[in-house]
Amino acid sequence: MVSSSLSNKRYTYIHESESVLRRGAIDIHHVIINRSRSTGYARRMGLAFFLVILGVDNPVVLELSVKWFLCFDTKSEASKESCSESVIIMPTFGIQLETQYLRKTVSRFIPIGKILKPVLVECVTPVTCYIRVSLYFCEELRPPLKMLVPILKELCAVIGTDQSEMITDEKHDASG
Amino acid sequence: MAEPKLRVLMVSDFFFPNFGGVENHIYYLSQCLLNLGHKVVVMTHAYGNRTGVRYMTGGLKVYYVPWRPFAMQNTFPTVYGTLPIVRTILKRERITVVHGHQAFSTLCHEALMHARTMGYRVVFTDHSLYGFADVGSIHMNKVLQFTLADIDQAICVSHTSKENTVLRSGLAPGKVFMIPNAVDTAMFKPADVRPSSDDVITIVVISRLVYRKGADLLVEVIPEVCRLYPNVRFVVGGDGPKHVRLEEMREKHSLQDRVEMLGAVPHSRVRSVLVTGHIFLNSSLTEAFCIAILEAASCGLLTVSTRVGGVLPDDMVVLAEPDPDDMVRAIEKAISILPSINPEEMHNRMKKLYSWQDVAKRTEIVYDRALKCSNRNLLERLSRFLSCGAWAGKVFCMVMIIDYLLWRLLQFLQPDDDVEEAPDINFCN
Repeated sequence: MVSSSLSNKRYTYIHESESVLRRGAIDIHHVIINRSRSTGYARRMGLAFFLVILGVDNPVVLELSVKWFLCFDTKSEASKESCSESVIIMPTFGIQLETQYLRKTVSRFIPIGKILKPVLVECVTPVTCYIRVSLYFCEELRPPLKMLVPILKELCAVIGTDQSEMITDEKHDASG
Repeated sequence: MAEPKLRVLMVSDFFFPNFGGVENHIYYLSQCLLNLGHKVVVMTHAYGNRTGVRYMTGGLKVYYVPWRPFAMQNTFPTVYGTLPIVRTILKRERITVVHGHQAFSTLCHEALMHARTMGYRVVFTDHSLYGFADVGSIHMNKVLQFTLADIDQAICVSHTSKENTVLRSGLAPGKVFMIPNAVDTAMFKPADVRPSSDDVITIVVISRLVYRKGADLLVEVIPEVCRLYPNVRFVVGGDGPKHVRLEEMREKHSLQDRVEMLGAVPHSRVRSVLVTGHIFLNSSLTEAFCIAILEAASCGLLTVSTRVGGVLPDDMVVLAEPDPDDMVRAIEKAISILPSINPEEMHNRMKKLYSWQDVAKRTEIVYDRALKCSNRNLLERLSRFLSCGAWAGKVFCMVMIIDYLLWRLLQFLQPDDDVEEAPDINFCN
């Protein structure tokens, strides 16, 4: 496997691919979020100091703050696991998009025939801007039957087809 | 791709798809600056679903920041809320000069404040006239005083506007440049065949029918002119609260066949309305720079106008006081000199006098002057705000100190090196 990687403070990029001589080889790209231990530690200490100040005159508030902090601290320990996103490119077959979270992985497969175009999109939020890769693809809608029936009735009315038999057949198919 | 000479960020709440004088000014100026080899980026708020980054003609990059407008197309004033996004855009695009437009734009004021805090050169263009007496104007003038206290250079669109801005803000007149607006003469051309003025003389009025645009004057002028000249007809384009008064005037004097009311006219159709006339009538009570009379003159119409900012050369315009009798006299004079007017010659003169390329070159000079201004540190800049008022000065200083501290905090949380620079995309014409 040929691989390359790039890294900065926040992200690490890893590219895995089979030998370039072999056509149709799978191409895998990973982007991993780096989480700094020291930043997390400083954040927790700052929060602890704030909570102590808050509850210095009130024992009840102090007790609640300590409990909340311990609960938060436990979760933040688990969050040391970094999240990542992967793009697995299978030529002539499709693209698999995976996002790895703390306890689960979400993946989605897009057949190659449905992909219209990959683009670089500049996104703007109220506080920042960033660039991401987006895929334009076409997707069929599959709404439930009760939404399709009114559309069918209108079309039949326009064309002049008897719709009652068609709906009865569909009910038989559904029950059978 | 060759490195641009300057990288300019135009900031305003008013930009396309909203339509108006400020929007047109920013767009045409940006296009001409792009042609001169500069890089121009526009920052405005989102309009409905139009949010994110868009590219316009010539590679003009527009950031539609998702801050929703809350009143009269203005972003909600948060003072410090726009600091992160302004900093990000300035770093991403490697901006050298920030150019804010319109005193009424909260986004402009906030962006200029943040840009000065971060040490960028700032230029401000004022497009409108404001009063001094009412509560809204007093508040607006104080905000303007705050913004302009620390500006590098300012631009006004007419001498009238310059006087008004200097009086309102207390800015030194030497820092204010006067660069008039221009007109797109390629769009506003005379008709191929000019309508004959022997039988019927058509006077065109295109404006919003509001008090400030002198719609009340029209109600008195039109019947009088129609009485004196049976061969004169009026075409009135535009809409507004005073529309009803004009309709009543038409009914009262039975002028339905001589006064045609078109209603709101889209800007794309303005030229087609103008070329049906011989004289353009402008009755505005106050105007920083009346682009409408430029458009009319570019179409070859003789103009009758009140004394507003941005008036044409003497042989293209007949001036009048905002008084019905004086306006009728001015229209009489215009009708008498109408046979000597050559629309094509007027159009060609307008091309030379009012071109956006000339505006861009003059704006470039202002940018160069701003870049030569010395960069003062925070303490030196705070002394400028103290002169804004006994209490206001101290409040302004506190605002700037907090802005500075927030900027430093942002630098700690996200260092400048972490802000990724956006690639320059070359659009080949």
